[in-house]
Amino acid sequence: MPPAIDTVDLVKDYGDLRALNELSLTVESGEFFGLLGPNGAGKTTFINTLVGLVRKSGGEARVFGHDVEDDYRQARDAIGLAPQEFNVDRFFPIKEVLMHKAGYHGISEDEAAERADEVLKRVGIYDKRNERFDWLSGGMKRRLLLARALVTEPDLLILDEPTAGVDVQLRHDLWDLVTELNDEGTTILLTTHYIEEAERLCDRVAIMNEGHKVTVATPDELKQRGTDTVDVRLESPPDTEATVADDLGAYAHDATVTGDRLEVRVDDGGSTAPQLLSELETMGYEIADLEISRTSLEEIFVDMTRQDDRSVTRSDAPSAATDTADGPKSERNDGRTGGTQEAVTDREPDGEYDSEREQEGVA
Amino acid sequence: MFSIGFRALFKREVLRFVRRPKNTFMPPAITNVLYFAVFGVILGGRIDEPVDGIGYILFLIPGLVVLGVISNAFENASFSIFHGRWNEYIHETLTSPLSYVEMVVAYVAASAVRGLIVGVIVAVIGALFVPVTVEHAVFLVVTMVVIAALFAGFGIIGGLIARDFDDLTVMNQFILRPLVFFGAVFYSLTMLEPIWQAVSLLNPMVYMVDSVRYGLLGHSDMFEVMPAAASEFAPLLSLGVLVVLTAGVLALDVYLFKIGYGLTD
Repeated sequence: MPPAIDTVDLVKDYGDLRALNELSLTVESGEFFGLLGPNGAGKTTFINTLVGLVRKSGGEARVFGHDVEDDYRQARDAIGLAPQEFNVDRFFPIKEVLMHKAGYHGISEDEAAERADEVLKRVGIYDKRNERFDWLSGGMKRRLLLARALVTEPDLLILDEPTAGVDVQLRHDLWDLVTELNDEGTTILLTTHYIEEAERLCDRVAIMNEGHKVTVATPDELKQRGTDTVDVRLESPPDTEATVADDLGAYAHDATVTGDRLEVRVDDGGSTAPQLLSELETMGYEIADLEISRTSLEEIFVDMTRQDDRSVTRSDAPSAATDTADGPKSERNDGRTGGTQEAVTDREPDGEYDSEREQEGVA
Repeated sequence: MFSIGFRALFKREVLRFVRRPKNTFMPPAITNVLYFAVFGVILGGRIDEPVDGIGYILFLIPGLVVLGVISNAFENASFSIFHGRWNEYIHETLTSPLSYVEMVVAYVAASAVRGLIVGVIVAVIGALFVPVTVEHAVFLVVTMVVIAALFAGFGIIGGLIARDFDDLTVMNQFILRPLVFFGAVFYSLTMLEPIWQAVSLLNPMVYMVDSVRYGLLGHSDMFEVMPAAASEFAPLLSLGVLVVLTAGVLALDVYLFKIGYGLTD
């Protein structure tokens, strides 16, 4: 079976700004794949390229082997998208909205009605089926977006920050539901800002920054790439910070002294701590306490997407800096791409809707 | 062409205006009652001589029918597209496996249906004021359908290029309506000086109003206004030009959808 998503050197330019920068990414069929990145990284642009809301400037993009432009009908038929924005038809009760969407995908009216009831029950808003979108609460709106994505029974479910701004209960409900869908065989592409979400749900994650892929790995592999911090409390503070840092071995990437506390960054705290203690004792320091903390996935994510310093990654692992070199850095624009992305996606339609603005039937 | 997906979009578009008659059908009905009462009965009653041998109210009907058809077909298509863009729910259509031709034809057909319904409403209101007999029924129906499709097609373009709701108002009130009013709705071209007759022939609305008038009443100004060689075939010529123009506009609509003009980033 072809990959659910396969892009090669995908490029999207908005004038001088490059939102997708030669992005090559493969998501296997049946996979639960996470897309992480800061605002403006190009996540939504990438998704919208797949579903036909953004036209690529270059490269190739396929969904289950179907080119998103040449075979756009097959590609779009395979995708169910729950976007960030509330882009729902306000004219009709939500059940009819779902029936329309199913109909566009070639599902007969009777079956569409059945499916609409089914997915509304599944996301827990069946009793609101005759309400219009504007009358739903924020959480219900988010559930409806998921229901709309599911009503066509897609092979690829794309969730663009589905839990942004939702309460804990809903977040857990959504997690349970998408896990269930993935277990049933649906490929899931999830974008999120919540590292915990990616860590909990995803088989693999890609970290994006400024339109290019920083790295692709399992959450565990990513965590292995981080450094540990060994926090040592000394009985008496050292005279100068430089003395301590200079005298430690090469295993110590960085050492910081604050009062009687010494923080040392190392690749692997567990194996390095004895050596560190031994060296400190040789230098004449008395150890009062020691604590080792692992780098969280969130810290690794921040490090990898930080523009100026990616040197904290484990030196012997395939580093973020190495992977980043895939994309031409000369094309970057110091975050301006992000600005464009926000301008494109962050429109708030809700307050603008006003049926009275329809100036119809004058003659 | 008439796939389940196409039918679903067409139905959605029709239901949108059918369920809102206070916004879609009532205003043109009321406005046209006023037109017939004021222009037809009160003012028209003071016009002693028939216009081209036709009573004034009867003369008015085809023009007002055309006005209703094109205004509503245009407004429906332009509003539906623009409102969908504004609130981004047109993404529901764009992310579906419908072909671009199916999308355009569904939007155009639904908008044309609304225009035709309003046209029939106007004709029925006119018939309440004066007896009407249809002279060339087939020609009339074909012409009305083509005109409705043409302006629905223009409405698609309007909905795609509009940046704000004000743009839709500008298109309808400042471009479409003046062209129709100077399209011989309320007067006959034969009443004009030759220079204004010639100028009027540059207005495409003239041919539409004249064609509908020919289909409904059997009268065409073109028999007298156009050069002798062409005048005999004037109604068919007008219809032929309209058909070609409509095909061109619909092809442009499909092209704009294909390149994502106003729809995709």
